[in-house]
Amino acid sequence: MILPKFEYKKARTIEEALEIYSQYNGEAFYLAGGTDLVPLLKHRLFNPKVVIDIKGIEELKTITKKGGNLLVGPNATLYELKGTPEIQEKLPCLFQSLDATSCETLQMRGTIGGNIMQNTRCLQYNKSLEWRTARGFCYKMGGKTCNVVLNAKACYSNYCGDNAPSLMTVDAKARIVGPTGERTIKVEKLFSGDGKEPFTVKPGEILKGIIIPLKETKGAYEKLTVRGSIDYPLVGVAVTIKDGSAKVGVTGIGPCPRVYELKEVNEKEINNIADKAYEDAKPVLNAVLTPAYRKKMVGVLIKRAFKRIEKGGSR
Amino acid sequence: MDDNLKIVGKRVVRSDSYAKVTGSALYTADLKLPGMLVAKVLRSPYPHAKIISIDVSGALKVPGVKAAVSGFDAYGVKWGVFRYTQDHAMLPTDKVRYIGEDVAAVAAVDEETALEGLSRIKVEYEPLDAVFDPVESMKDGAPQIHNEYKNNINIHVHIDVGEVDKAMAKAYLVREDTFKAAGEAYAMMEPYAVVASYANGYLDLWMPNAGPHVRAKALSNLLKIPLNRVRVRHINSGGAFGGRSEVAPGDLVASLLTIKSGRPVKLVLSREENATSSRQVHDIVATVKTGMKKDGTIVAKDYKVIYDGGAYSSTGPIATSIPFYVYEECYRFPNVRYNGYRVFTNKGIRGMYGCHGRAFLAGNEAQMDMMAKELGLDPVDVRLKNGLTAGEMTATKSKITSCGLKDTIIEASEKTNFKKRWKKKEKNRGIGMGCVAIMCGFPMGFRSGSSCYVKINDDGQVTLVTGLVDNGQGNESMVIQVASEVLGVPMEDINLVNADTEVTNLDPGAYSQAAAYVGANAVKAACENVRKRLISIASEKLGVPESDIDLKDRIAYSIKQPDKRMPISWIAREAFFRGEPIVATGSFFPDIDFEREWVTRPWGQMAGTFSFGTSVAEVEVDYETGKIIVPRFTAAHDCGRPINPMAVEGQMEGSIQQAGIATITEGNVWYRGFLLNPDLLEYKVPLACDMPEIDTIIVSSHDPKGPFGAKEGGLTVRMNAYSAIACAFTNATGILFEELPLTPDKVLNLLEKNKGVK
Amino acid sequence: MKTVKVTINVNNEKIKLQVKPYETLLETLRERLALTGAKEACSLGSCGSCTVLLNGTPVRSCLILTPEVDGASITTIEGLKEDGKLHPLQEAFMEKGAVQCGFCTSGMIMTAKGLLNRNKKPSRAEIIKSISSNICRCTGYKKIVEAVEEASKKMA
Repeated sequence: MILPKFEYKKARTIEEALEIYSQYNGEAFYLAGGTDLVPLLKHRLFNPKVVIDIKGIEELKTITKKGGNLLVGPNATLYELKGTPEIQEKLPCLFQSLDATSCETLQMRGTIGGNIMQNTRCLQYNKSLEWRTARGFCYKMGGKTCNVVLNAKACYSNYCGDNAPSLMTVDAKARIVGPTGERTIKVEKLFSGDGKEPFTVKPGEILKGIIIPLKETKGAYEKLTVRGSIDYPLVGVAVTIKDGSAKVGVTGIGPCPRVYELKEVNEKEINNIADKAYEDAKPVLNAVLTPAYRKKMVGVLIKRAFKRIEKGGSR
Repeated sequence: MDDNLKIVGKRVVRSDSYAKVTGSALYTADLKLPGMLVAKVLRSPYPHAKIISIDVSGALKVPGVKAAVSGFDAYGVKWGVFRYTQDHAMLPTDKVRYIGEDVAAVAAVDEETALEGLSRIKVEYEPLDAVFDPVESMKDGAPQIHNEYKNNINIHVHIDVGEVDKAMAKAYLVREDTFKAAGEAYAMMEPYAVVASYANGYLDLWMPNAGPHVRAKALSNLLKIPLNRVRVRHINSGGAFGGRSEVAPGDLVASLLTIKSGRPVKLVLSREENATSSRQVHDIVATVKTGMKKDGTIVAKDYKVIYDGGAYSSTGPIATSIPFYVYEECYRFPNVRYNGYRVFTNKGIRGMYGCHGRAFLAGNEAQMDMMAKELGLDPVDVRLKNGLTAGEMTATKSKITSCGLKDTIIEASEKTNFKKRWKKKEKNRGIGMGCVAIMCGFPMGFRSGSSCYVKINDDGQVTLVTGLVDNGQGNESMVIQVASEVLGVPMEDINLVNADTEVTNLDPGAYSQAAAYVGANAVKAACENVRKRLISIASEKLGVPESDIDLKDRIAYSIKQPDKRMPISWIAREAFFRGEPIVATGSFFPDIDFEREWVTRPWGQMAGTFSFGTSVAEVEVDYETGKIIVPRFTAAHDCGRPINPMAVEGQMEGSIQQAGIATITEGNVWYRGFLLNPDLLEYKVPLACDMPEIDTIIVSSHDPKGPFGAKEGGLTVRMNAYSAIACAFTNATGILFEELPLTPDKVLNLLEKNKGVK
Repeated sequence: MKTVKVTINVNNEKIKLQVKPYETLLETLRERLALTGAKEACSLGSCGSCTVLLNGTPVRSCLILTPEVDGASITTIEGLKEDGKLHPLQEAFMEKGAVQCGFCTSGMIMTAKGLLNRNKKPSRAEIIKSISSNICRCTGYKKIVEAVEEASKKMA
């Protein structure tokens, strides 16, 4: 399958990347690992004039410890990150979600920035131009309807990143740099909740770094899939327990991951959160297992994650 | 049975491996011919619509587009596997019948230009009502997909043996259940591709196929070109599993384009196109009614099976029948009625599949276990009781010669400690068994046999020429191994020319499980004829009787006086000198009842022999998530005798993925006429981490007619693995499956429906 | 559209090319360099049949734009032989019967090579995890795992 026509530009600095972006009037995509972008382009879901390779920007690759935080460059691969001693020792939930992402080969190419910023997915969206033309274009493609839910007023595509929910549970922040300057926001604020435009980042903005507080935590990531590798999560649940309280992240259902807080870790609180997360989950028939089942698994996996942390088990 | 064989029965490195591990083995998409053009196909966006007009002229105006065609450039010939199923024009001119159907095509200097050309083709459609469910499709008032088939019933196979109703009435225990399964995808790793080159009045083609001769014949008919001018050439094939047996629209497309443009044309399908527009596998709804005596003897079976055939006939009656036959060839049914319906729907075309019939077969086996349990029998008992043995006849009058069924049941059972574990009640664990038989060949008229010719070259090396086909299972290496055994020369001395319609003679192809029993038998026969000639000259030259001569390591020698020897190369040269070079032909035609017909006369000897197999699956069911894990799988297969045990194991192991784990992961998902998972991400082909620990057991029943006693190399596992899993699930949960694949959502539903009903 | 100049080291040979900016590494290897060992089975990064080594790391070449690998070192299946001798992985795949139709084979071997590059003595579990990046439809993976085990033993 050939790609549509576009130019290739390589940026050596963040400034250069922003410059090229504006030169092409925003008809551009940033290219890191390409594991999310290239299939989208092959499907002609997007038709940029240029693809800007940001892998050459040194400062985006580094992983350093500073002032009680782990500063992670967004271009660090999932595999590299997974091998970082600090993450292995202190952030088990994140370690598990990194390890659960896709497969080993793609972990070695995919970057954490790209993994967080991946486009939302739907069985009727991630298809060739010919398939989608025959079906009719939906909201997410610029059309006027949803192809999955009759009379839907919004897009029900699913955010399927494994690592955003874990990052949310460890209070990670994202530093963003763009034409209007730099800002730092909580990872959960990256998401708009709108399946059509899933991110709050403005056109041209690049992820500059991810800041993770390096505290001792306990955690687990539970992933519902049909196969044991490669698959996106049909439901993903991240749990981190820190200083007696906990956070739960849920991914795979709806256009953005959600995070919940437990002030105390006990059975009552866990069941409450499981019920709340179950309520909030509104899956539709746009993945290979039924919506009712996926919804049910949100609660089941939350409880499992807590139990596994208690028992001290790995995935 | 001679058992001082030198190479047959040994684990040899396959002859095709070297090229494949070095990346030098060529597949169709790897081919480059001078001046070659790239083809792209314009496909129907409608599941059902009249074609009002097709205008390709716009495409021809694009610089770089060298040809553009539609059905109006073909010859109005419809193809069918059978004379009574000739419904496929390949490129339609009347209407389109499924989303993704080939409608028009261009050939251009590169892919971008071809896509540009496609975008300029104008097709006017008048959409028609469509139907997607086979049960709906059979009803009065449903949209008619083909004029010739009332109620969209493509094929009705009706078999009625004995007195079913009477026997059911007298039975001690009767049970009826309905089982469903979503159709699978072949998901062979090589997406379909064709290279066609028309020059000097000859049309040459390369494509992954299971039988070049039927391809060439079909194209000869479709293009009205004499058969000798259509040459399908040998090329490596990236897996077929039954999905590459028939002529494809892409073949006609590429042929028309090369003829029109005067240049070679390459058409490569994307993965999505491979899923939507080449063969798919039937969805099935199977109603199984069984009557048993108190002692577990099956007295009657009454079947109604509906096969969702998609938009065209494809193998038609074959697909409608096979699941029934592989089952009646395994068990004794004194009274049996089978009504199989293949029904058209506006979806992709469904073909034969190595794992075809999972709803029917797994349903039968799981139901049998439930009934046996009620009667105090375990799965081993009930299968031994009802399983066929050598010398018996099947319900539709096929005689069983060699039969290792009992051995496969017993060995698989002992290896897994089956009886004890089945009885034990561990809440979330289960063990289950599945049996089946496989016919080695079907009646295919004059194409049921194979012929081989052999020549000895002047250095004593050998050229084997046979129509036999290899789609990855190791058939090519198998016949080289057989020749090596008979001729006493190492495998590396033997050149194989196969699957080329200009040069090689007829063979059933990699279809109907006939490669060992028929294809290799013909090779053996030809080699034995060569051997006779070699021995005759050697006997003369060495002055010893012919019975005293053996061939080994390129030498002919006297067994009694081993010093008396001469290289085979000398014998070859002597023969050349005499003006009688050493060449020979050999054929094998299986003992089949050729009056047998799938629809009009469904009884008589089906095949020359049958293989038998038993699989045992161990499962763990997670009651909270519905997830099934298969920690261990054991498969026992009676292949008569393994020619290359490593190859037989490979077939069995691959089947455990494709028919075993697939039971819990694989199924096409549809929204009306749209295939929602035409890709390798959302269609779940099991990965290494999903596989169980595997034990394979090869049983040798030494078939009297198979080459060195060999039958077929492993297909039983493809048709009993899902039964083993379904039965294990039933053992673990006490529930019968309703629908495959048994994905966690379906399992949880079943478990919840069943709560409290224990 | 202007082509992009790249210099890539492919199987120890320095090659200068003018490629389309939107050309994938898989296309470049197959169409320009006649290295058809890497296969296009899905084109979307779901199956691993296109796997090659990029600076020693296994990657899906169908997802890489050739301009991205300017200056890099690529190893394909055709480059595994050393001095005309098969690599132990290639030998082991042959000897263990780990090759059937062969379409997934180059990708599978390159993934395994990538594993052995970074882990000389992988456990069975590590091998299975690594090759779960690749789909095989024929073998059921058992003999592939055995072949990688065998190769790592030979190479130790």
